Amino acid sequence: MNDLKAIFKDTRQHLMTGVSYMIPFVVAGGILLALSVVFYGQAGVPPEGTWLFDLFMIGVKGFELMVPILAGFIAFSIAERPGIAPAAIGAFVANELGAGFLGAVIAGILGGVVVFYLKKIKVPAVFRSIMPIFVIPIIGTFITAGLMQWVIGAPIASITIGLTEWLQGLQSGSIVILAIIMGLMNAFDMGGPVNKVAFAFTIMAVSEGLYNIAGINAVGVCCPPIGMGLATLLAPKKYTVSEKEAGKASFLMGLVGITEGAIPFAAGDPLRVIPSIMVGAAAGCATAGLLGVQNMIAWSGLIVLPAVTGKLQYIIAIIVGSVVTALMVNLLKKPVQEKENEEIDENIGDELDLKFE
Amino acid sequence: MKIVAVTACPSGVAHTYMSAEALERAAKARGIEVKVETQGQIGIENRLSVEDIKDADVVILTKDIGLKETDRFKEKKIVKVGVSELVKKADQIVKKLEEMINK
Repeated sequence: MNDLKAIFKDTRQHLMTGVSYMIPFVVAGGILLALSVVFYGQAGVPPEGTWLFDLFMIGVKGFELMVPILAGFIAFSIAERPGIAPAAIGAFVANELGAGFLGAVIAGILGGVVVFYLKKIKVPAVFRSIMPIFVIPIIGTFITAGLMQWVIGAPIASITIGLTEWLQGLQSGSIVILAIIMGLMNAFDMGGPVNKVAFAFTIMAVSEGLYNIAGINAVGVCCPPIGMGLATLLAPKKYTVSEKEAGKASFLMGLVGITEGAIPFAAGDPLRVIPSIMVGAAAGCATAGLLGVQNMIAWSGLIVLPAVTGKLQYIIAIIVGSVVTALMVNLLKKPVQEKENEEIDENIGDELDLKFE
Repeated sequence: MKIVAVTACPSGVAHTYMSAEALERAAKARGIEVKVETQGQIGIENRLSVEDIKDADVVILTKDIGLKETDRFKEKKIVKVGVSELVKKADQIVKKLEEMINK
């Protein structure tokens, strides 16, 4: 039982490993799908038989693979290579029932745990090579995919459908509250675990066809880096030379949807920067929610513009969020005197909880 | 003293490399030898060699996502830290490790 406890203690690590392998599928599938619709130019799926339709299908296939890849690599994180197949197949099966991303997460953990214990079974030396090649894939997949198909797949699907319906039914007031929360989460750790929870939620929403959630999230993701870049331009006296350089990079990272661009600023001055980007992102997200921005891809920045419905509103929301961020942080910041060597506070280290394992 | 480290983060494009840079800078400022392997979206870069690991007094591993090939560090002193903690507090972490090792 201690093993099981250890696995669940690291749940977040396992989920994030899955997400890290899934991201290229999200980007490739999403952007190619969006491009095909843009080139077609009539806000719909291109007709069959054209190369644009083929491109559309390439994107769709990339999307379909996200679910098994997520599950497979959650299980990979728990039970290494043998975990991948049972979990990926289990998630694929559950997805057919409508279990979506929630199903992928559960299939991933389930497959990982099942294989983790199958690997522990002691076998005589003659059978040792048979275990990883036949026994674990077959039994592991039978248990994982079987449970998903016959036992828990349908209940998970009904939760997913319920959540989707609830999100669809949200009135504009509630949408704004959801948008504010997503904005705060996006900015809080700039691409860290809290941000990735909002990201995972967005992927789920997109796969269920809730494009307004992705519209909101896209704004929240890019406001912190764009806002900080803008801030260095508006008040250059309040930033060091290296911060001004980081400002340009941050601006560009914002345009391609990478919140991490804002980190150099937050690392140097967290108490002023983090609240500012959180408020800015929340303002931008709320604007996007109110204006009904829709985004077909779970990604951010100007590169998703082709996939956005309400392009002008999307840009307005980004501008609102970025300007709020920049004005607030510049209001809070004082002019800097350039220091050659940053002084290290010799006492802070004592608060760190480090230990050898 | 020598520190080796492996860093990785969920998206594998930013925190992975920023934490590596922060650690390298912090260690060099204290005159400590350091080598950081990054396991980003692109794969393993600046891979730690067997000698690197053998010579190291301590191994820093980030704990946000599962790392590849961690069996290499069996029998070493390992410290696990969050990747954003390493970005923000590399100086303090290095200082603390120095105290812990020299104790």
